[in-house]
Amino acid sequence: MANKINLILKVWRQKNQESQGRFETYKALDIDTDMSFLEMLDVVNESLTKSGVDPIAFDHDCREGICGTCGAVINGQAHGPLKGTTLCQLHMRHFKDGQTLVIEPFRAKTFPIIKDLCVDRSAFDRIIQAGGFISVKTGQAPDAHAVPVPKDKVDWAMDAAACIGCGACVAACPNASAMLFVAAKASHLNVLPQGVPEKKSRTLNMVKQMDQEGFGNCSNEYECEAACPKEISVAHIARLNKDHRQAS
Amino acid sequence: MSYQTFDFNSSITKKQIVALTGLVLIFFVVFHLAGNLFIYGGPAAFNGYVEKLDDLGVLKTIAEWGLFFVFGIHILTTAFLVLENIQARGISRYAVDNSKGPRSLATRLMPYSGSYLFLYVIWHLIDFSWADQQGPRSIIHGVSYGLYGVVVNAFKDPLHSMLYIIAMCFLGLHLAHGTQSFLQTFGFNDNRFTPCIKKFSRYFAVAMAAGYSSIPLYVLYVLKV
Repeated sequence: MANKINLILKVWRQKNQESQGRFETYKALDIDTDMSFLEMLDVVNESLTKSGVDPIAFDHDCREGICGTCGAVINGQAHGPLKGTTLCQLHMRHFKDGQTLVIEPFRAKTFPIIKDLCVDRSAFDRIIQAGGFISVKTGQAPDAHAVPVPKDKVDWAMDAAACIGCGACVAACPNASAMLFVAAKASHLNVLPQGVPEKKSRTLNMVKQMDQEGFGNCSNEYECEAACPKEISVAHIARLNKDHRQAS
Repeated sequence: MSYQTFDFNSSITKKQIVALTGLVLIFFVVFHLAGNLFIYGGPAAFNGYVEKLDDLGVLKTIAEWGLFFVFGIHILTTAFLVLENIQARGISRYAVDNSKGPRSLATRLMPYSGSYLFLYVIWHLIDFSWADQQGPRSIIHGVSYGLYGVVVNAFKDPLHSMLYIIAMCFLGLHLAHGTQSFLQTFGFNDNRFTPCIKKFSRYFAVAMAAGYSSIPLYVLYVLKV
Protein backbone atom coordinates (compact mmCIF):
# COMPACT_ATOMS: atom_id res chain seq x y z
CA MET A 1 0.00 0.00 0.00
CA ALA A 2 1.27 3.38 -0.94
CA ASN A 3 2.28 5.91 1.67
CA LYS A 4 0.22 9.01 2.19
CA ILE A 5 1.53 12.40 3.25
CA ASN A 6 0.00 15.74 4.16
CA LEU A 7 1.52 18.97 2.93
CA ILE A 8 1.02 22.69 3.35
CA LEU A 9 1.21 24.55 0.04
CA LYS A 10 1.95 28.25 -0.27
CA VAL A 11 0.99 28.90 -3.87
CA TRP A 12 1.44 32.06 -5.91
CA ARG A 13 -2.00 33.16 -7.11
CA GLN A 14 -2.25 35.84 -9.76
CA LYS A 15 -5.43 36.47 -11.72
CA ASN A 16 -3.78 37.86 -14.86
CA GLN A 17 -0.72 39.69 -16.15
CA GLU A 18 -1.89 43.06 -14.87
CA SER A 19 -3.04 42.07 -11.42
CA GLN A 20 -0.93 41.93 -8.28
CA GLY A 21 -0.11 38.40 -7.18
CA ARG A 22 -0.02 36.98 -3.65
CA PHE A 23 0.62 33.73 -1.81
CA GLU A 24 -2.37 31.63 -0.73
CA THR A 25 -2.05 28.73 1.70
CA TYR A 26 -3.76 25.41 0.99
CA LYS A 27 -3.65 22.00 2.62
CA ALA A 28 -2.81 19.00 0.45
CA LEU A 29 -4.17 16.03 2.42
CA ASP A 30 -3.69 12.30 1.87
CA ILE A 31 -1.25 12.71 -0.99
CA ASP A 32 -0.07 9.40 -2.41
CA THR A 33 3.76 9.44 -2.48
CA ASP A 34 3.72 7.71 -5.88
CA MET A 35 1.99 10.71 -7.41
CA SER A 36 3.89 13.20 -9.52
CA PHE A 37 3.96 16.82 -8.43
CA LEU A 38 1.43 17.74 -11.10
CA GLU A 39 -0.90 14.93 -10.01
CA MET A 40 -0.70 16.32 -6.50
CA LEU A 41 -1.74 19.72 -7.89
CA ASP A 42 -4.61 17.97 -9.74
CA VAL A 43 -5.84 16.55 -6.42
CA VAL A 44 -5.59 19.94 -4.72
CA ASN A 45 -7.39 21.57 -7.66
CA GLU A 46 -10.26 19.07 -7.39
CA SER A 47 -10.83 19.98 -3.78
CA LEU A 48 -10.49 23.70 -4.57
CA THR A 49 -13.04 23.40 -7.36
CA LYS A 50 -15.47 21.54 -5.08
CA SER A 51 -15.19 24.29 -2.50
CA GLY A 52 -15.83 26.97 -5.15
CA VAL A 53 -12.26 28.29 -5.34
CA ASP A 54 -10.62 28.95 -8.71
CA PRO A 55 -8.20 26.04 -9.36
CA ILE A 56 -4.44 26.71 -9.54
CA ALA A 57 -3.44 27.31 -13.16
CA PHE A 58 -0.27 25.51 -14.20
CA ASP A 59 1.26 24.56 -17.55
CA HIS A 60 1.51 20.88 -18.49
CA ASP A 61 1.31 18.66 -21.54
CA CYS A 62 3.15 15.36 -21.98
CA ARG A 63 3.81 14.69 -18.28
CA GLU A 64 6.71 12.50 -19.43
CA GLY A 65 9.49 15.06 -19.05
CA ILE A 66 10.00 15.60 -22.77
CA CYS A 67 7.81 18.50 -23.87
CA GLY A 68 9.13 21.34 -21.72
CA THR A 69 5.70 22.74 -20.93
CA CYS A 70 5.57 22.29 -17.16
CA GLY A 71 7.68 24.14 -14.67
CA ALA A 72 7.46 26.01 -11.39
CA VAL A 73 9.80 26.97 -8.60
CA ILE A 74 9.46 24.80 -5.50
CA ASN A 75 11.06 26.18 -2.34
CA GLY A 76 13.32 28.40 -4.46
CA GLN A 77 14.40 25.66 -6.87
CA ALA A 78 13.25 25.45 -10.49
CA HIS A 79 11.53 22.08 -11.11
CA GLY A 80 11.98 21.25 -7.43
CA PRO A 81 14.84 19.77 -5.43
CA LEU A 82 15.77 16.83 -7.67
CA LYS A 83 18.48 17.26 -10.31
CA GLY A 84 17.79 16.35 -13.92
CA THR A 85 14.03 16.18 -13.44
CA THR A 86 11.08 18.12 -14.79
CA LEU A 87 8.26 19.04 -12.44
CA CYS A 88 5.99 16.38 -13.97
CA GLN A 89 8.58 13.69 -13.25
CA LEU A 90 9.16 14.82 -9.68
CA HIS A 91 7.37 12.43 -7.34
CA MET A 92 5.89 13.19 -3.97
CA ARG A 93 8.06 10.55 -2.30
CA HIS A 94 10.82 13.17 -2.30
CA PHE A 95 8.90 15.29 0.19
CA LYS A 96 8.31 14.75 3.89
CA ASP A 97 5.00 14.49 5.69
CA GLY A 98 3.99 17.88 7.08
CA GLN A 99 6.42 19.78 4.85
CA THR A 100 5.59 23.29 3.65
CA LEU A 101 6.12 23.86 -0.06
CA VAL A 102 6.36 27.35 -1.50
CA ILE A 103 5.26 27.10 -5.14
CA GLU A 104 6.02 30.03 -7.44
CA PRO A 105 6.06 30.61 -11.20
CA PHE A 106 9.33 31.00 -13.13
CA ARG A 107 10.17 34.63 -12.48
CA ALA A 108 11.84 36.89 -15.04
CA LYS A 109 10.90 40.12 -16.75
CA THR A 110 10.97 38.25 -20.05
CA PHE A 111 8.55 35.59 -18.72
CA PRO A 112 5.45 37.60 -17.80
CA ILE A 113 2.99 35.69 -15.61
CA ILE A 114 -0.21 34.85 -17.49
CA LYS A 115 -2.00 33.34 -14.49
CA ASP A 116 -0.84 31.71 -11.24
CA LEU A 117 2.04 29.41 -12.28
CA CYS A 118 1.64 29.89 -16.06
CA VAL A 119 4.21 32.15 -17.69
CA ASP A 120 4.56 33.42 -21.24
CA ARG A 121 7.72 31.90 -22.73
CA SER A 122 7.13 33.10 -26.29
CA ALA A 123 10.43 35.03 -26.12
CA PHE A 124 12.07 31.61 -26.59
CA ASP A 125 10.06 31.02 -29.78
CA ARG A 126 11.21 34.36 -31.20
CA ILE A 127 14.85 33.44 -30.46
CA ILE A 128 14.39 30.14 -32.31
CA GLN A 129 12.78 31.99 -35.24
CA ALA A 130 15.72 34.42 -35.34
CA GLY A 131 18.02 31.42 -35.79
CA GLY A 132 16.57 30.85 -39.24
CA PHE A 133 16.89 27.83 -41.51
CA ILE A 134 19.45 25.13 -42.19
CA SER A 135 20.64 24.06 -45.62
CA VAL A 136 19.11 20.70 -46.53
CA LYS A 137 18.16 19.31 -49.91
CA THR A 138 14.44 18.92 -50.43
CA GLY A 139 13.00 15.83 -52.01
CA GLN A 140 13.30 12.28 -50.80
CA ALA A 141 14.75 11.53 -47.39
CA PRO A 142 18.53 11.24 -47.79
CA ASP A 143 20.36 8.06 -46.95
CA ALA A 144 21.31 7.95 -43.27
CA HIS A 145 25.02 7.73 -44.10
CA ALA A 146 25.02 10.24 -46.93
CA VAL A 147 26.57 12.94 -44.72
CA PRO A 148 29.25 11.52 -42.44
CA VAL A 149 29.30 13.14 -38.99
CA PRO A 150 32.12 12.41 -36.48
CA LYS A 151 31.02 10.70 -33.28
CA ASP A 152 32.14 13.51 -30.94
CA LYS A 153 30.13 16.04 -32.94
CA VAL A 154 27.06 13.81 -32.93
CA ASP A 155 27.33 13.43 -29.15
CA TRP A 156 27.76 17.15 -28.68
CA ALA A 157 24.79 17.97 -30.92
CA MET A 158 22.58 15.34 -29.28
CA ASP A 159 23.42 16.61 -25.79
CA ALA A 160 22.45 20.12 -26.86
CA ALA A 161 19.34 18.91 -28.67
CA ALA A 162 18.07 17.45 -25.40
CA CYS A 163 16.98 21.00 -24.46
CA ILE A 164 13.20 21.03 -24.10
CA GLY A 165 12.99 24.83 -23.82
CA CYS A 166 11.27 24.77 -20.43
CA GLY A 167 12.89 27.99 -19.21
CA ALA A 168 14.27 26.63 -15.93
CA CYS A 169 17.68 28.07 -16.87
CA VAL A 170 16.22 31.57 -17.00
CA ALA A 171 14.22 30.99 -13.82
CA ALA A 172 17.29 29.79 -11.90
CA CYS A 173 19.78 32.33 -13.21
CA PRO A 174 20.32 35.24 -10.79
CA ASN A 175 20.44 37.48 -13.89
CA ALA A 176 17.51 35.81 -15.71
CA SER A 177 19.89 35.03 -18.56
CA ALA A 178 18.84 32.72 -21.39
CA MET A 179 22.39 31.80 -22.39
CA LEU A 180 22.05 28.07 -21.71
CA PHE A 181 18.90 27.85 -23.83
CA VAL A 182 20.37 29.89 -26.70
CA ALA A 183 23.67 28.02 -26.43
CA ALA A 184 21.94 24.64 -26.61
CA LYS A 185 19.77 25.66 -29.57
CA ALA A 186 22.68 27.20 -31.50
CA SER A 187 25.14 24.50 -30.47
CA HIS A 188 23.18 21.52 -31.71
CA LEU A 189 23.18 22.92 -35.24
CA ASN A 190 26.50 24.79 -35.27
CA VAL A 191 28.63 21.64 -35.12
CA LEU A 192 26.67 19.53 -37.61
CA PRO A 193 27.48 19.67 -41.35
CA GLN A 194 23.85 20.55 -42.05
CA GLY A 195 24.04 23.58 -39.77
CA VAL A 196 27.50 24.88 -40.58
CA PRO A 197 26.65 27.07 -43.63
CA GLU A 198 24.42 29.37 -41.50
CA LYS A 199 26.48 29.11 -38.32
CA LYS A 200 27.59 32.73 -38.34
CA SER A 201 24.20 34.31 -39.01
CA ARG A 202 22.46 31.87 -36.66
CA THR A 203 24.78 32.71 -33.79
CA LEU A 204 24.65 36.47 -34.23
CA ASN A 205 20.91 36.65 -34.86
CA MET A 206 19.92 34.40 -31.95
CA VAL A 207 22.14 36.32 -29.52
CA LYS A 208 20.82 39.62 -30.87
CA GLN A 209 17.23 38.46 -30.40
CA MET A 210 18.05 37.21 -26.90
CA ASP A 211 19.40 40.65 -26.01
CA GLN A 212 16.44 42.44 -27.57
CA GLU A 213 14.01 40.33 -25.56
CA GLY A 214 15.65 41.69 -22.39
CA PHE A 215 17.24 38.56 -20.93
CA GLY A 216 20.13 39.19 -18.54
CA ASN A 217 23.82 38.60 -19.14
CA CYS A 218 25.56 35.37 -18.21
CA SER A 219 27.93 35.84 -15.28
CA ASN A 220 29.13 32.23 -15.16
CA GLU A 221 27.27 31.28 -11.99
CA TYR A 222 26.20 27.91 -13.47
CA GLU A 223 22.83 27.84 -11.70
CA CYS A 224 21.27 27.12 -15.10
CA GLU A 225 23.17 23.86 -15.49
CA ALA A 226 22.06 22.74 -12.01
CA ALA A 227 18.42 23.57 -12.72
CA CYS A 228 18.30 22.13 -16.25
CA PRO A 229 16.10 19.02 -16.25
CA LYS A 230 18.14 17.70 -19.17
CA GLU A 231 21.45 18.52 -17.44
CA ILE A 232 22.81 20.47 -20.38
CA SER A 233 26.38 21.52 -19.72
CA VAL A 234 27.58 25.12 -19.50
CA ALA A 235 30.29 24.00 -21.92
CA HIS A 236 27.67 24.84 -24.56
CA ILE A 237 27.68 28.43 -23.30
CA ALA A 238 31.46 28.52 -23.72
CA ARG A 239 30.94 27.23 -27.27
CA LEU A 240 28.40 29.98 -27.98
CA ASN A 241 30.83 32.58 -26.60
CA LYS A 242 33.48 31.23 -28.95
CA ASP A 243 31.17 31.01 -31.97
CA HIS A 244 29.98 34.57 -31.34
CA ARG A 245 33.55 35.87 -31.06
CA GLN A 246 34.48 34.18 -34.31
CA ALA A 247 31.31 35.39 -36.06
CA SER A 248 31.66 39.03 -34.96
CA MET B 1 19.44 36.79 -44.09
CA SER B 2 20.90 39.91 -42.58
CA TYR B 3 23.01 40.28 -39.50
CA GLN B 4 25.32 42.82 -38.06
CA THR B 5 28.98 41.85 -38.27
CA PHE B 6 30.05 43.51 -35.03
CA ASP B 7 27.66 44.50 -32.33
CA PHE B 8 29.25 46.33 -29.43
CA ASN B 9 25.94 46.18 -27.57
CA SER B 10 25.83 42.40 -27.73
CA SER B 11 25.78 40.86 -24.27
CA ILE B 12 28.56 38.43 -25.23
CA THR B 13 30.79 41.17 -26.66
CA LYS B 14 30.38 43.23 -23.49
CA LYS B 15 31.21 40.21 -21.34
CA GLN B 16 34.30 39.52 -23.43
CA ILE B 17 35.41 43.13 -22.98
CA VAL B 18 35.06 42.67 -19.21
CA ALA B 19 36.99 39.39 -19.42
CA LEU B 20 39.81 40.82 -21.53
CA THR B 21 40.26 43.92 -19.37
CA GLY B 22 40.05 41.63 -16.34
CA LEU B 23 42.94 39.56 -17.73
CA VAL B 24 45.08 42.69 -18.10
CA LEU B 25 44.26 43.59 -14.49
CA ILE B 26 45.17 40.06 -13.35
CA PHE B 27 48.64 40.50 -14.90
CA PHE B 28 48.91 43.91 -13.22
CA VAL B 29 47.99 42.41 -9.85
CA VAL B 30 50.77 39.80 -10.22
CA PHE B 31 53.45 42.29 -11.26
CA HIS B 32 52.37 44.80 -8.63
CA LEU B 33 52.70 42.16 -5.92
CA ALA B 34 56.12 41.13 -7.22
CA GLY B 35 57.22 44.75 -6.89
CA ASN B 36 55.65 45.23 -3.47
CA LEU B 37 57.52 42.23 -2.09
CA PHE B 38 60.74 44.28 -2.35
CA ILE B 39 59.65 45.71 0.99
CA TYR B 40 61.08 42.57 2.62
CA GLY B 41 64.49 43.65 1.31
CA GLY B 42 64.44 46.84 3.41
CA PRO B 43 64.32 50.55 2.45
CA ALA B 44 67.18 50.42 -0.08
CA ALA B 45 65.67 47.55 -2.06
CA PHE B 46 62.13 48.94 -2.00
CA ASN B 47 63.06 52.53 -2.84
CA GLY B 48 65.47 51.23 -5.47
CA TYR B 49 62.57 49.44 -7.15
CA VAL B 50 60.47 52.64 -6.96
CA GLU B 51 63.32 54.63 -8.53
CA LYS B 52 63.72 52.06 -11.31
CA LEU B 53 60.02 52.47 -12.13
CA ASP B 54 60.35 56.28 -12.08
CA ASP B 55 63.37 56.04 -14.41
CA LEU B 56 61.11 54.52 -17.06
CA GLY B 57 59.74 58.06 -17.55
CA VAL B 58 57.31 58.24 -20.50
CA LEU B 59 56.90 54.47 -20.56
CA LYS B 60 55.68 54.53 -16.97
CA THR B 61 53.21 57.33 -17.78
CA ILE B 62 51.89 55.40 -20.79
CA ALA B 63 51.53 52.24 -18.67
CA GLU B 64 49.68 54.18 -15.96
CA TRP B 65 47.25 55.77 -18.40
CA GLY B 66 46.79 52.42 -20.10
CA LEU B 67 45.91 50.87 -16.76
CA PHE B 68 43.48 53.69 -15.96
CA PHE B 69 41.82 53.11 -19.31
CA VAL B 70 41.57 49.34 -18.85
CA PHE B 71 40.33 49.75 -15.28
CA GLY B 72 37.71 52.28 -16.39
CA ILE B 73 36.45 50.09 -19.24
CA HIS B 74 36.29 47.06 -16.91
CA ILE B 75 34.18 48.95 -14.36
CA LEU B 76 31.93 50.82 -16.78
CA THR B 77 31.13 47.75 -18.89
CA THR B 78 30.45 45.69 -15.76
CA ALA B 79 28.18 48.44 -14.43
CA PHE B 80 26.14 48.31 -17.67
CA LEU B 81 25.90 44.52 -17.44
CA VAL B 82 24.83 44.59 -13.79
CA LEU B 83 22.13 47.19 -14.50
CA GLU B 84 20.82 45.07 -17.38
CA ASN B 85 20.81 42.01 -15.13
CA ILE B 86 18.81 43.80 -12.44
CA GLN B 87 16.30 44.87 -15.08
CA ALA B 88 16.06 41.35 -16.51
CA ARG B 89 15.41 39.77 -13.12
CA GLY B 90 12.52 42.18 -12.61
CA ILE B 91 11.03 43.49 -9.42
CA SER B 92 9.55 40.25 -8.18
CA ARG B 93 12.01 37.94 -6.42
CA TYR B 94 11.57 34.38 -5.21
CA ALA B 95 10.14 34.07 -1.74
CA VAL B 96 12.69 31.36 -0.91
CA ASP B 97 16.38 31.91 -1.70
CA ASN B 98 17.56 28.37 -2.18
CA SER B 99 20.22 27.84 -4.80
CA LYS B 100 20.34 24.44 -6.49
CA GLY B 101 23.68 25.00 -8.17
CA PRO B 102 27.28 25.76 -7.29
CA ARG B 103 26.89 29.51 -6.77
CA SER B 104 29.76 30.36 -4.45
CA LEU B 105 30.28 33.27 -2.08
CA ALA B 106 32.90 34.67 -4.46
CA THR B 107 30.42 34.61 -7.35
CA ARG B 108 27.62 36.05 -5.27
CA LEU B 109 29.81 38.91 -4.08
CA MET B 110 31.35 39.87 -7.45
CA PRO B 111 29.58 43.25 -7.81
CA TYR B 112 30.22 44.09 -4.13
CA SER B 113 33.87 42.97 -4.08
CA GLY B 114 34.38 44.90 -7.31
CA SER B 115 32.78 48.05 -5.89
CA TYR B 116 34.87 47.86 -2.71
CA LEU B 117 38.02 47.39 -4.79
CA PHE B 118 37.11 50.38 -6.97
CA LEU B 119 36.79 52.64 -3.91
CA TYR B 120 39.89 51.06 -2.40
CA VAL B 121 42.01 51.72 -5.52
CA ILE B 122 41.10 55.44 -5.43
CA TRP B 123 42.11 55.62 -1.76
CA HIS B 124 45.24 53.53 -2.41
CA LEU B 125 46.39 55.92 -5.16
CA ILE B 126 45.94 58.96 -2.91
CA ASP B 127 47.43 57.09 0.04
CA PHE B 128 50.62 55.75 -1.59
CA SER B 129 51.05 56.53 -5.30
CA TRP B 130 50.38 60.26 -5.06
CA ALA B 131 51.76 60.68 -1.54
CA ASP B 132 54.62 63.11 -0.88
CA GLN B 133 57.47 60.61 -0.75
CA GLN B 134 59.78 62.98 1.14
CA GLY B 135 57.06 64.52 3.33
CA PRO B 136 56.28 63.99 7.01
CA ARG B 137 54.63 60.59 6.33
CA SER B 138 57.96 59.21 5.11
CA ILE B 139 59.86 60.02 8.30
CA ILE B 140 60.85 57.25 10.72
CA HIS B 141 62.79 58.40 13.80
CA GLY B 142 63.59 61.75 12.17
CA VAL B 143 64.90 60.31 8.89
CA SER B 144 62.97 60.27 5.58
CA TYR B 145 62.79 56.78 4.09
CA GLY B 146 60.91 57.77 0.94
CA LEU B 147 57.98 55.60 -0.15
CA TYR B 148 59.25 52.82 2.14
CA GLY B 149 58.70 55.18 5.09
CA VAL B 150 55.21 56.13 3.86
CA VAL B 151 54.22 52.46 3.58
CA VAL B 152 55.68 51.45 6.95
CA ASN B 153 54.11 54.43 8.77
CA ALA B 154 50.76 53.68 7.14
CA PHE B 155 50.75 49.99 8.05
CA LYS B 156 51.88 50.66 11.61
CA ASP B 157 48.30 51.93 12.07
CA PRO B 158 46.15 48.79 12.67
CA LEU B 159 43.01 50.40 11.18
CA HIS B 160 44.93 51.29 8.01
CA SER B 161 46.23 47.72 7.78
CA MET B 162 42.79 46.26 8.42
CA LEU B 163 41.20 48.25 5.57
CA TYR B 164 44.03 47.07 3.31
CA ILE B 165 43.60 43.43 4.32
CA ILE B 166 39.82 43.59 3.84
CA ALA B 167 40.44 44.95 0.34
CA MET B 168 42.87 42.11 -0.36
CA CYS B 169 40.31 39.52 0.84
CA PHE B 170 37.84 41.04 -1.62
CA LEU B 171 40.57 40.94 -4.27
CA GLY B 172 40.98 37.22 -3.57
CA LEU B 173 37.25 36.60 -3.84
CA HIS B 174 37.09 38.64 -7.04
CA LEU B 175 40.00 36.70 -8.56
CA ALA B 176 38.63 33.30 -7.48
CA HIS B 177 35.63 33.81 -9.77
CA GLY B 178 37.18 36.15 -12.31
CA THR B 179 40.18 34.05 -13.33
CA GLN B 180 38.22 30.92 -14.22
CA SER B 181 35.37 33.00 -15.63
CA PHE B 182 37.68 34.56 -18.20
CA LEU B 183 38.24 31.24 -19.95
CA GLN B 184 34.54 30.31 -19.99
CA THR B 185 33.65 33.72 -21.46
CA PHE B 186 36.26 33.31 -24.18
CA GLY B 187 34.95 29.90 -25.08
CA PHE B 188 37.31 27.46 -23.37
CA ASN B 189 35.52 24.78 -21.41
CA ASP B 190 36.94 21.33 -21.45
CA ASN B 191 36.21 18.24 -19.34
CA ARG B 192 39.88 17.76 -18.54
CA PHE B 193 41.16 21.31 -18.15
CA THR B 194 38.21 23.20 -16.65
CA PRO B 195 38.34 21.46 -13.22
CA CYS B 196 42.11 22.18 -13.09
CA ILE B 197 41.53 25.79 -14.08
CA LYS B 198 38.89 26.18 -11.36
CA LYS B 199 41.30 24.76 -8.81
CA PHE B 200 44.13 26.98 -10.07
CA SER B 201 41.80 29.98 -9.90
CA ARG B 202 41.14 29.35 -6.19
CA TYR B 203 44.82 28.75 -5.32
CA PHE B 204 45.87 31.80 -7.32
CA ALA B 205 43.27 33.96 -5.52
CA VAL B 206 44.46 32.76 -2.10
CA ALA B 207 48.11 33.31 -3.09
CA MET B 208 47.43 36.87 -4.24
CA ALA B 209 45.34 37.79 -1.18
CA ALA B 210 47.91 36.22 1.16
CA GLY B 211 50.86 37.79 -0.67
CA TYR B 212 49.45 41.31 -0.46
CA SER B 213 48.11 40.89 3.10
CA SER B 214 51.49 39.63 4.28
CA ILE B 215 52.92 43.14 3.88
CA PRO B 216 50.81 44.99 6.49
CA LEU B 217 51.04 41.94 8.79
CA TYR B 218 54.84 41.99 8.45
CA VAL B 219 54.99 45.73 9.19
CA LEU B 220 52.60 45.41 12.14
CA TYR B 221 53.98 42.32 13.85
CA VAL B 222 57.49 41.57 12.56
CA LEU B 223 59.22 44.78 11.48
CA LYS B 224 60.93 46.59 14.34
CA VAL B 225 61.38 50.31 13.74
